[in-house]
Amino acid sequence: MTASLATSQAPAGRRRSTRRRLGPVGTSVLGAVIGLAFLIPLWWTVVNSLRPGDETFRYLNPLEWRTFFTLTPTLDNYFALLDTDLGRAILNSLFISLVTVVVGLVICATAAYGLSAFKFRGQGLVFSVIILSFLIPFDAIAIPLADMFRDWNLQNTFFGLILPGLGNGMAIFLLRTFFLAIPEELVEAARLDGLGPWGVFRRIYLPLSVPALIGAGLMLFLFQWQAYVWPLLMGTDRDHVVGPVALSNLQGQFAVDYGVLFAASVILILIPLAIIIGFQRYFIQSVSTTGLK
Amino acid sequence: MKRSRALLLAGVAASAVLLAGCSAPAHSGSAGDGSGTVRFLGPEDPATFAPVIAAFEAEHPDITIDYTQVPFDQYSSTLQQRLGAKDDTIDVYAVDQPNLSQLAAQGFLEDLSDLSDEAKAATSSAQFEINQYDGKMWALSVWNSTQMLFFNRDALAAAGVEAPTADPAARWTWEQTADAGRAAQAAGTQYGLLLEQVEAYYQLQPLAESLGGGSGITGDDMLTVDVTNDGWQQAMAWYGDTFESGLSPRGVGGFQTAPVFIDGNVAFFVGGPWDVGRFASDAKFDWGVAPMPYFEGGEVATPTGSWSWGVNTASKNKDAAREFIEFAALDPAGALATTEATTIIPSNTEAAAKYLPGLEELGGEHAAGVADLITYEIEETAVPRPVSVGYVQFESAMNTAFADIRNGSDPAARLEQATTQIQDAWKKLR
Amino acid sequence: MTTPTTRAGADPRARRAVRPAPPARPTRRGRRHPALIALAFLAPALIALLVLRLAPAAVALWDSLFRTSLLGGTQFVALGNYFELFGNPDFQNALLVTLVFTILINPLQVATAFLLAVLYTRKAAGSKIWRSLVILPIAVPPAVSAVIWSVIYRPDGLANAFLDLLGLPAQPFLTSPQQALASIMVLLSWIGVGYWMMFLIAGINDIPRSYYEAASLDGASAWRQLWTITFPLVRRPLAFVLVADTVSNLLVFAPVQILTKGGPEGSTNLLMYDIFTRAYTLGDLNTAQAEVVILVLITLVIVALQFRLLRSED
Repeated sequence: MTASLATSQAPAGRRRSTRRRLGPVGTSVLGAVIGLAFLIPLWWTVVNSLRPGDETFRYLNPLEWRTFFTLTPTLDNYFALLDTDLGRAILNSLFISLVTVVVGLVICATAAYGLSAFKFRGQGLVFSVIILSFLIPFDAIAIPLADMFRDWNLQNTFFGLILPGLGNGMAIFLLRTFFLAIPEELVEAARLDGLGPWGVFRRIYLPLSVPALIGAGLMLFLFQWQAYVWPLLMGTDRDHVVGPVALSNLQGQFAVDYGVLFAASVILILIPLAIIIGFQRYFIQSVSTTGLK
Repeated sequence: MKRSRALLLAGVAASAVLLAGCSAPAHSGSAGDGSGTVRFLGPEDPATFAPVIAAFEAEHPDITIDYTQVPFDQYSSTLQQRLGAKDDTIDVYAVDQPNLSQLAAQGFLEDLSDLSDEAKAATSSAQFEINQYDGKMWALSVWNSTQMLFFNRDALAAAGVEAPTADPAARWTWEQTADAGRAAQAAGTQYGLLLEQVEAYYQLQPLAESLGGGSGITGDDMLTVDVTNDGWQQAMAWYGDTFESGLSPRGVGGFQTAPVFIDGNVAFFVGGPWDVGRFASDAKFDWGVAPMPYFEGGEVATPTGSWSWGVNTASKNKDAAREFIEFAALDPAGALATTEATTIIPSNTEAAAKYLPGLEELGGEHAAGVADLITYEIEETAVPRPVSVGYVQFESAMNTAFADIRNGSDPAARLEQATTQIQDAWKKLR
Repeated sequence: MTTPTTRAGADPRARRAVRPAPPARPTRRGRRHPALIALAFLAPALIALLVLRLAPAAVALWDSLFRTSLLGGTQFVALGNYFELFGNPDFQNALLVTLVFTILINPLQVATAFLLAVLYTRKAAGSKIWRSLVILPIAVPPAVSAVIWSVIYRPDGLANAFLDLLGLPAQPFLTSPQQALASIMVLLSWIGVGYWMMFLIAGINDIPRSYYEAASLDGASAWRQLWTITFPLVRRPLAFVLVADTVSNLLVFAPVQILTKGGPEGSTNLLMYDIFTRAYTLGDLNTAQAEVVILVLITLVIVALQFRLLRSED
């Protein structure tokens, strides 16, 4: 297939192309196959969220069309969620995550700027501290941190749930990586135009790093969206319950209704999914395309 | 009109007096001086405790119960962390019975010894003993459990095997069960036998007990490991073989075992009372209930125990907290309300007697005899998990050992390794 | 790297943009007090990291020198917990498993993420949709991805059903000491590869088109362009991904906790899972903190090696 495509497209380099180049159709097919392979486990989950829980494991092996499809989809599992704390938990998680993303991006982006746009003594040390901060496993130091937070009376508060998400060394590291790629000439030109350090940050660095900012934002978002151990330590009364805790609460100690569990996870996946797809178009922007305008 | 309202009011007042009279013995300890909010932590869905909370609040208008659920898989560790930090936002909490001594030893449980007499009268001796540590009583038993042998009658019929009955006198042996399971496999059923909690000490302890292996913990201080004796080795060799031979499936974990039975893929399934309602609504074949088997020539032993409730020593509202747990454990009406929205057995003997016929009814014709069977097992054959401050470490090491034996590790060597692991962990307790 | 840069000489700003930082960058200095201005920008983050990460880590380090027993009290044992750990066969095994895991999974994931990033930045139909599907698993709650993969890996599960379809024999997956760790790696790659790919896509999109056009005129094959243009020019994002991926993989424990509990035969007993069980299940906080210190040191060494390796490639 690649051979025929290559001939029609580039007769001069035929030999080379047949061997080494995948035509656009070949690329599309390969891309689609891989994408769909990644989707299979989730597709199975979605299908089973539309089925009664006692049928979850019925069509596993041997494979048949019913493994991945159902002719009688039902929303019962989703309606069952209305009686749980999941709705409240999703709103709480969304609030916590959004505040974390907004505040966290400001903190991390300014830090990355301070680290990449200036040269000063001790820079290496500061960078090492930031690297060290994300080598420390958060779940392992959560116990001493929770003791500190209890002294400050932060149990069962949104503040106590949001705070740990703000210090994200990995997001700073990511932003620094991309900030270093910003052309000096642009910065110099902006300086000549009279922009101060803050102006350079706002007018040059931020607009030129949209993909990296999205990446860092997603990192901050997922830290909170999937937070589980920390909220349990901080206390999760009904007003402060978060998504993953509500999800685990659906698993009773004697039995799990996988239909309901999968329905809840589909809902929990939808929000990050919307974010990932919604921000896809900004990924095309880059230093080379936006920076030269 | 006015007259009828007055009558109604009088009626309400009278019944209130009556109710108060009924429950008076249960409350003699604390004279009903509690009020305010009681914060209650447990691993169950809020709907499970809604009935008992509503019933309690109706009787105690001054007290509000504020329930928080913590996921079951993280419950013990969350509890350990928060109680360790003297968290006073917990007043009452559910205690997994084998963890009681560890919690009591750390001073996380209020001494309830003054209620001993009432507690003794209200429940079975095993359920009373389970709350004792160091000569004192630290919690009140609320729920109890047992295990039974569920079987797929259709699968057995296809193999020409006569099904067991619910009569404890006609209890099958494990050998007999395995043979019948193999016959069913030969006749087309995928698997012969499956235990619900395949890798859990709770369900596997009776195998060793039946062969005289004991609980695995001995000594005056209950900190001596004893899982390499003949009983344990034999039991684990048999257990490992059920997987090696294909009688039981490997790799099907935790909560995915009951669906194997529901889908008709296994002949025998060892499960709890909570499965009765579930199978009744989901299993589309003829099934039945029989007593949990024992080893030929061995003792009869069945799992037991569930949850007790205790009061946090750091609580600032202990009086009200005590009133609530007394209501749930000692007052038959309260105890019955704890099981209204779930299928588990109340520890309170009087409540259990009222509850079990309902459970049998829920199971329909398939569950005939289940009420008598459960009563018999709780009274006669129940063997509780050992009371030891080192239970948590013990159970954790044993459960990984069970998992390995299931996947083909040599039982004798693996039990030896578990012994070392437990001894290492226990060194830190002293 | 030299071929494309000379070719792209018409576009000097873009060329500098992607070049590694020159040794001295005087123009980048803030005019007067660069250190003060830089620190002002860094201050909020440094305070946050200090309070939320380093302070509790210091507490953990301090705690690791003590021993609190349930029935005794708390006593200072200096490095006692560390000595005990290194003498413990289970811990030695956990160390070994963690090292094998780290050495295998990181290069595999980064290479896959890179190749996928290249694939999905080519002109092709529906790229954006397909790559969204690859990124998607990162959004799945860990508890659920573990349930899904437990179903895939069951003896009668989806993976064996597919193998059966292809005429291959059934595999034991998580129940075999030989296959369990590899099975966990596949699961983690399903979750993580798309996520890391995303950052590489951002890096690849920063490479000016003109480089490729020039190279094509030169007659360089796509394969050659991949190694002479794309690879060197995403070096910095690649370095980020390698370090971040390594750290993330060293801190993973949820799938192990739900699927294998470290077994069979300790073959998936990753250090972070061991720490988690020790701290949360067994309540042996002091030893767990000693393990945390060891894990952080190991991570530090690996990350330092990676930085050095990437620097020497300059």
